[in-house]
Amino acid sequence: MTQEIDLSKLPPPAPYDEARDKAQRSRLAKAWQGPPGWKIVSAVNNSFIGKWYLLTSFAFFVFAGILALMIRVQLAAPNNDLFGQQLYNQLFTLHGTAMMFLFAVPIFEAVAILVLPEILGARDLPFPRLSAFGYWCFLIGGVFVCGSILFGVAPDGGWFMYTPLSSNEEYSGLGADIWLLGLSFIEVSSIAAAVELIVGVLKCRPPGMRLNLMPLYCWYVLVVAGMILFAFPPLIAGDLLLEMERAFGWAFFDVDRGGDPLLWQHLFWIFGHPEVYIIFLPSIALIATMLPTFAGRPMVGHSWIVLSAIGVAFLSFGLWVHHMFTTGLPEISLGFFSAASEAVAVPTGIQIFCFIATMLVSKVRPSVPMLFAGGALAIFVFGGLTGVMVALVPFDWQAHDSYFVVAHLHYTLIGGMLFPLMAGVCYWYPFVTQKAMNARASRWAFWLMFGGFNLAFLPMHWTGIMGMPRRVWTYDLTDGWAVLNMVSTVGAFVFATGFAVLAINVLWPRGKAPFVARNLWNAGTMEWAAEVPGKPWGVRSIPYIHTRYPLWEQPGLVDGIDRGEWFLPDAAEGKRELIVTDILDARPLHVQRVGGPTFLTLGSAFCLGAVFILATYHLWALALAFGAGFVGFTLWWLWTGTSEIPERPHKDAGRGLTLPTYAQGNRSPGWWAVFITMTGDMTAFMGLVFSYFFYWTALPDFPPAASQLPAFGGLLAGLAALIAAWLMTVAARSLLGQGARRAAMALLVGSVPVAAAGLGGWAWAAWAVGLDPTSHSFDAMVWMLILWMGLHLIPNAIMQIYVAARIWADICNPEYRADLMNLTLFGHFLALTAIVIFALLAVFPLMMGAA
Amino acid sequence: MRNLTLLTVPLLAGCAGRHNWLSSAGAEADRVEGLFWVLLIGAAVIWSAVIGAAVYAQRRQVDPGLEHQARWFIVWGGAVIPTVLVCALLIWGLVILRDITPDKGDLTVRVDGERWWWRVTYDGPDGDVVTANEIRLPLDQTALFRLTSDDVIHSFWVPAIGGKMDMIPGRETTLALTPNKTGNWGGLCAEYCGGAHALMRFDTVVMEPDAFDAWLAAEAAPARVAPDDPGFAVFRDEGCGACHTIRGTDARGPVGPDLTHVGARARLGAGIYAMTADNMARWITDTHAMKPDADMPPYPDLSGARLEALVTFLLSLDHAE
Amino acid sequence: MRYESDKQPSRFGPPGYAPRVIDQGSVWIMVAAPTLWALHFVASYVVAAVWCARIGPSLTEPRWIIAGMAVVCVALIVWLATQAVRRYGGVFVIFEEITESSERGRDKFIGHVSLLLCILSGVAIAFTVIPGFVFGSC
Repeated sequence: MTQEIDLSKLPPPAPYDEARDKAQRSRLAKAWQGPPGWKIVSAVNNSFIGKWYLLTSFAFFVFAGILALMIRVQLAAPNNDLFGQQLYNQLFTLHGTAMMFLFAVPIFEAVAILVLPEILGARDLPFPRLSAFGYWCFLIGGVFVCGSILFGVAPDGGWFMYTPLSSNEEYSGLGADIWLLGLSFIEVSSIAAAVELIVGVLKCRPPGMRLNLMPLYCWYVLVVAGMILFAFPPLIAGDLLLEMERAFGWAFFDVDRGGDPLLWQHLFWIFGHPEVYIIFLPSIALIATMLPTFAGRPMVGHSWIVLSAIGVAFLSFGLWVHHMFTTGLPEISLGFFSAASEAVAVPTGIQIFCFIATMLVSKVRPSVPMLFAGGALAIFVFGGLTGVMVALVPFDWQAHDSYFVVAHLHYTLIGGMLFPLMAGVCYWYPFVTQKAMNARASRWAFWLMFGGFNLAFLPMHWTGIMGMPRRVWTYDLTDGWAVLNMVSTVGAFVFATGFAVLAINVLWPRGKAPFVARNLWNAGTMEWAAEVPGKPWGVRSIPYIHTRYPLWEQPGLVDGIDRGEWFLPDAAEGKRELIVTDILDARPLHVQRVGGPTFLTLGSAFCLGAVFILATYHLWALALAFGAGFVGFTLWWLWTGTSEIPERPHKDAGRGLTLPTYAQGNRSPGWWAVFITMTGDMTAFMGLVFSYFFYWTALPDFPPAASQLPAFGGLLAGLAALIAAWLMTVAARSLLGQGARRAAMALLVGSVPVAAAGLGGWAWAAWAVGLDPTSHSFDAMVWMLILWMGLHLIPNAIMQIYVAARIWADICNPEYRADLMNLTLFGHFLALTAIVIFALLAVFPLMMGAA
Repeated sequence: MRNLTLLTVPLLAGCAGRHNWLSSAGAEADRVEGLFWVLLIGAAVIWSAVIGAAVYAQRRQVDPGLEHQARWFIVWGGAVIPTVLVCALLIWGLVILRDITPDKGDLTVRVDGERWWWRVTYDGPDGDVVTANEIRLPLDQTALFRLTSDDVIHSFWVPAIGGKMDMIPGRETTLALTPNKTGNWGGLCAEYCGGAHALMRFDTVVMEPDAFDAWLAAEAAPARVAPDDPGFAVFRDEGCGACHTIRGTDARGPVGPDLTHVGARARLGAGIYAMTADNMARWITDTHAMKPDADMPPYPDLSGARLEALVTFLLSLDHAE
Repeated sequence: MRYESDKQPSRFGPPGYAPRVIDQGSVWIMVAAPTLWALHFVASYVVAAVWCARIGPSLTEPRWIIAGMAVVCVALIVWLATQAVRRYGGVFVIFEEITESSERGRDKFIGHVSLLLCILSGVAIAFTVIPGFVFGSC
């Protein structure tokens, strides 16, 4: 297996040979070339997916921005009846929804997918087809949600969808279902991207890039993807509860049936507040990446920025109730969240001070990206300071749901996210297109945007102080808000003009314009090592990195890369290959083969999208048919594109480095992806557990008397069967390892009916005592937990049979059994879920009854 | 659609800014106002210092030897000083919160949020006194509001007097307000409640305590309705009593606002239109033009003498001796 | 500093053979202190919520429960901080970036960041205790 390699003492590269270089380049090009013509939609490489993701997110931004302008037009004058109540309510709901779910979060993923592999000197992310799948899900879901306004059925319950306004059919219609199902679908793609980015940062760094040498951008991506993993799942759990209430009348939020509308607010804001930092941190990361470039020196306080990113990530999970300060919770509870909301200002501020400290010891070259960064600083610091204000409960009782908060949140999001993003667009435009933007037009764009923004949003603080509440479509002249609103409207249009100038500048066709110089800004990070004009493979050979700013600190690096002197300079087998390294020190572990262009992910995403869209209209039979299509496409994709047995167990990666070509267990990125996905899944499950205990604190009859509890015997028998099924999978893994293929297959297939029997036992236990999910929140909660188990057993059963089939086909065998190891890992999480559900359904009510 | 500005301007000309937090019309608002000015000045100083530091950093000569100081700058400017400041603010904010949330008040007012109006109930000497969309409060007394909702979440807010509190189905929340300036202050629904959220308002009239007591007594009295009032006949024939209550008559509908003394209120439609005969007539016949989605069905067939009689009757339901 | 040898004796078997999460060289110490903050935060919230919903308006007992938990958590954080200093070589303020390409450099970096996170988490826990001493009842 792998030898201990001293990367700094590699044998010298073979002397340069032009013929060899040419041959290698043509083989690399063949392996990495995007598909021709219209087949380009089957591309999966990050450079394609990233660009599409970016453009799609910006398209949704423009859409949501147009909605915002319509809002501003409606509010420009008092007693204006231009759009009217119904449309206005849809406008602001969709504006918030699209900005948050279809722009702010996806744009992080878009930028990361586009530049992260390049910063890491990698040729792609570890699961390119998963990125493609996520992208198509995002596109389909986003178009579905946004398109609804053209048919007048857009959601109109606010982007926060508070129950009972959103749960009661009397108050809300199809729009609420479109919101719930459309966005759940998109959240799935966000989590897919998060998994990929985490594995990308941890396992796909270039050899030698230890944690202390990792660029700040990668730290931020790691932290933010981790936050997505813990923030989005509770919302998915909430969406599930809410949609079950809407579609089937399950009692979760209806007070008459033991539900509680505040539960939704908790689940929503446990997602919603971290989300603000999920949006903010990656954009600050852009500034942290470009500031050293223009300062011409490393960042001062690199480690303090890492501290600040991690600190913010944690503290941001302790803020959610500050959106609920006016819901009448006990003052001491508000106090905790006020405390965390104040505390988070400290690490947030540290980042800003690191930037200023860097500027103190250098001379920053004036440039368009730095202009946007400066604007971001001015706006964001202001928004942060009003944030400190609204974090104080008494102040918030006045400011909450007034235009003061509208102003505050736009200062933080536009200052903390949009302006840095624009800086990033200007900074990386030459990297992506290899052409230069028109700097003069960009400067115009900046000043229009900066001026327009402040003109629009600075007066809004005062509008709020004058008592204007949010989400009102009209007001009276005598309210005294007319002049301020008119000013805001004018500012909004100036701001939009500025953005339009920038957008035109970006989209301007520059086919004949000259290419920019390589490493145009003289940056120190690896993405600028790319050749001009660009090559499909990204980096000619994957170098050994032993500094934070390799292009500054490792002289001759670029030449060595170009001559193919480093690792994987060739694609001899015609396969797309990456180097997987270890988490701490980025020591090369193995060569990972990744998938190339395919239509399978497209089909898979299309079918899954159809399932969600059809479910919105309660077309269950069709939805089921497309569900089968989704499973079919996904299995086909997995079967043909993952865990292939390599043609030989090792290969020469260049410079005397011989690496395995297959990995399994916790050495393989796939295992990590399953582990990380299931961590997210457990977080969603924790959302359900939280709901259970929330009802317990809020309701005197939760859990109810013993006679209404699910039968203990049935629950215990069910648990026993589920655990038995899990043990059978575990046994199959070790038996296969010992070469007993038939026994392993039998156990895998045999565990499916055993698990089904276990689930049946639970269902019987609930059904026998007449638990009806539409009658009371306890009944609904019991059935929801059983349903949760069922929703996991279905994919589990499919994968059990899939792996058995792989064993039968000898693609999964004693030597190469990554599939079975990943499946077993999934099984571990399932067993844990089963035990917790049993504790909630059987043990906890008993304990409470005894007390 | 709501081309009524001309009608409302004269009525409210003197009331511009009646929703302003900085009106100093309540003890709670005063506490927040004091906090606000300190925060504002502090924020201005900090913002100027941070941006000033950034600008200064660019204007001075580069001195790489400053890296030592730059690092201490991060420690002190980024970490230590902000920690101390936010800690002090946190404690101050919590103390204010404690002070403005007393357990008891001088009087209790129950307000129930409806789509899209306010049901207001006072504890009168002889039981509940129910009214709607207009709250009267005695000067310098702490009113404890007990807030509920039967449909969706609303939020009760009189910015000039104090902060807001949500009204949540299945719960009762409380809010203390101590008005300290007489006048007519605006009240709003602050939590988006669907449909006509923008048109869910109320008046808050702060009165001298004696005047308040007289008002409450008058409000508690049943309506004076002449048995042969032609307007009341229309009211009865059209079935208005199925939804509305007029105490002292057989109209006991619990759905819509209590109309016992509707003529004594300054506004109709939940604080959005002046209580005039024209507005009332239009409200009855063309409700949704004045307030889209309102639960009240319009009566477009009412017209002429019958409509006039009904409007006259409703406006006569006041406190006049 | 920049071109220093990468060679360090490895005490951990073949490189990257398993995610070394427990022993020295673990990254988990970086998230340990903030996790303690999170646990203390959630526990405080739960204690207060359950107390106010089920037991009574007086907050005297929860106040001391929360403070007691804070003492325990801060003690654990102090222990973590000593680990970060002693075993990882972490320091509070660095005057030169830790860019050494070696296991020692990486450890020093992790120790340094962990130490900073310990301090931040300790302060955040102290913040959480404050409300309990301002409010006497629910």
